[in-house]
Amino acid sequence: MRKFLERLFEHLPLQFRILCRQFLLCVVDLEALSIEADIPRFLGQFAGVLIMISIVNFISASMFLLSMTWRIEQYLIATMMLVAGLIVVVSWDATFPDRRDVMVLSPLPVAPRTILFAKVAALCAVLSIAILALNVATGVICPLLLGSQHSSILGFFQSFAAYWFTMVAASAFLFCSVLTVQGFTALLLPRRLFLGLSAILQLAAFGLFLGVYFLQGTITTPAAMATPENQRLLACSPSFWFFALLNQLNGSLPPALAWLAQRAWTGLGLSVFGAATSLILCYLRTMKKTVEEPDLVPGAEGLHWTPRFGSSLQTAIVLFSFRSLTRSRQHRVVLAFYFSVVFAIALALLRYVLSPVTLRPLTPDFIIPTILMMSFAVIGLRSVFPLPISLTANWVLRIAQLCPSQKYIAATRRSQLLFAVLPVWLVSACLSLSFRPWHQVAEHLAVLALLGLVFAELSLIGFYKVPFTCSYLPGKSNIQVAFWGLVVVLLVLTVAFAPFEQRALSDPFLYVGLFIVLSAAACGLWAFNRHRAKSAVLYFEELPEEIITTLKLN
Amino acid sequence: MLELRKVSKHFSGIPAVDDVSFSARPGEVTGYLGPNGSGKSTTMKMITGLIEMTLGHIFFQGRSIEDDPIAYRRRFGYVPEEPYLYNHLSGVEYLTMVSQLRNLPQRESSERIDGMLRLLSLYDDRHASISGYSKGMRQKVLIIAALLHNPDLVLLDEPFSGLDVGSSLVLRSLIQELAARGKVVLFCSHELDTVERICTRVVILHRGRLVADDTIEHLRSLMELPTLEGIFSQLAVEQDTESMARQMADLIHA
Repeated sequence: MRKFLERLFEHLPLQFRILCRQFLLCVVDLEALSIEADIPRFLGQFAGVLIMISIVNFISASMFLLSMTWRIEQYLIATMMLVAGLIVVVSWDATFPDRRDVMVLSPLPVAPRTILFAKVAALCAVLSIAILALNVATGVICPLLLGSQHSSILGFFQSFAAYWFTMVAASAFLFCSVLTVQGFTALLLPRRLFLGLSAILQLAAFGLFLGVYFLQGTITTPAAMATPENQRLLACSPSFWFFALLNQLNGSLPPALAWLAQRAWTGLGLSVFGAATSLILCYLRTMKKTVEEPDLVPGAEGLHWTPRFGSSLQTAIVLFSFRSLTRSRQHRVVLAFYFSVVFAIALALLRYVLSPVTLRPLTPDFIIPTILMMSFAVIGLRSVFPLPISLTANWVLRIAQLCPSQKYIAATRRSQLLFAVLPVWLVSACLSLSFRPWHQVAEHLAVLALLGLVFAELSLIGFYKVPFTCSYLPGKSNIQVAFWGLVVVLLVLTVAFAPFEQRALSDPFLYVGLFIVLSAAACGLWAFNRHRAKSAVLYFEELPEEIITTLKLN
Repeated sequence: MLELRKVSKHFSGIPAVDDVSFSARPGEVTGYLGPNGSGKSTTMKMITGLIEMTLGHIFFQGRSIEDDPIAYRRRFGYVPEEPYLYNHLSGVEYLTMVSQLRNLPQRESSERIDGMLRLLSLYDDRHASISGYSKGMRQKVLIIAALLHNPDLVLLDEPFSGLDVGSSLVLRSLIQELAARGKVVLFCSHELDTVERICTRVVILHRGRLVADDTIEHLRSLMELPTLEGIFSQLAVEQDTESMARQMADLIHA
């Protein structure tokens, strides 16, 4: 297979092959990686996370598919569409030629169509990795179980083909729809306006995908699908269209739902046509515009107020962190991966809060999500801090390092508190408005604030870097294992802690004890970090551990 | 005074700078010359502390720069060879960040930044992102950042790179003015005309080793050559330049 692919690749034009490889690697910003970095390993990590999801889905599908076929099908399709959507968000600016592409490639005898095909092939490769990885396990078990409805072996192959075609079609639909919107926005708007709007569109798309995924319910019976109140949801939600398409291809679709499958076909056709048209037009029309205009919107005149966040050094590092987070696509996207969990929990809580019952007592149903939001926000920000924004520009921090290391660590702590702990605490405070009694709400918010401090201090143990200034070794953190391990540990601990906190909220002595313990933990960790930071040396280059192999000659 | 004593830097055992000793005095502009790859920028980086020396010592005002690195960093300003800046910041944001890192008083630094941006014709673009700046504009940002804290030691590595004629003339006068005010200026450049105009003395490096350290006047009379270009060619250029140019043209035509 590999030899066949290599031979196939060799038959492609040389320019196409080189550009395709280059664009594929550009999905990961090369500057963000250290000299020792391994890009295939980085992509492998991405696939690893998806494979892990696939295995979890595989287990749940094997257990429940026969009893909840429609629910599982809808869930798998919605998850596939979410992953495709997140890939679109990640590769947001990689689809269309940027200024660097144009400046480098325009003087060379490379036809625009070669660049276009190479870009599309690179993006398709990333999307294919995602589809394969996410369905590596479920793509076998689901067709097997769906095929059991058929009596012949051909039935299994029909289910197999239906499953994989639907997953590819659902991903392609979402991917192409976003490309269409992006492409026509680029075509219709002046370039500067487009560049400004592009970042907002990216975040809006991200919020939309997550919001739909977490807020949209499932419809699990033909009777429920036929009810008038569900018709609008069915008509508007593409995941139901592709659910109908799967069943149509599998031969198990009730005739009353044929119109949904029709929508899937129409939607797929329109989105592919729209994406192809906008891509071609963009390559033909916006290449010149790209050369003439800088890639970033010039700063507007007017108010440029910069608040202070403590000492000069703290202000410098907090503002640098804030600007890096808000202006760098790569950092926004990585942070969004973690904040999506926070966002999803907040959305789920909001749905719970907005439900008709008003003024409810504080229960673990509220305590658990707020603690989880806090922990994921801190982990997310801590995970994005080591990703550098521009390694070559770090010299200025090194020659202007006029304060001892602990001052830099303190500034990093302040960034962590301002951009992770405080927003989550404020969101939780807003969401808690419908809970009573007030004193319990206030007590929980105090506990949450202390937990935020503890998490922030824990996250800073051994972190002797200025955020966004140290080189990064992909693979070192083993994210596909660490992330899921952390999720399980956090869930277990939070679920165990929440009933205890609930008891403490109604028992003043217990609450005081809890408060003192958490305060002591926060202070102790702060003192520990401060003490270690005094002898720490800030570092700007992450180096791989040296492995010494003993020859055992004795 | 800045003093280098038997400074060497080896990369994987290969010497980039080999046993270099010289000094730069206050009130003088010291030119630091050499062909590409001769070790000029490596020396500059060792003086700034960005890379460590393999051997030797560097002293500033009689104290080793390793004794109190923080105090030493307060006293020098550095314009690097390449205009590497944080592209996601605007010019004024970058300069404000540098002033904050250096713990300069807010009002004073703000006035200095605005004033220098105006003098270098960058004021109107101060809020634009650095990614949109031309090479010359970036160079101006670097020059302002290097001088913002009124350093005693000014290290300039190819400071004229990308600057327009007007800005180059301003910078040339500025370098002389800084030296006249008693600062130590070490100036690295390939522009021999400029070096000849503004430098009092020159240090010439070839293949990592020092080949000359003297006043330009004395070198001229010693080597009986009328220009610095002639002196440099004799000391640091090995090839027959005309013959090389011919060979290259032949190669292209072949």
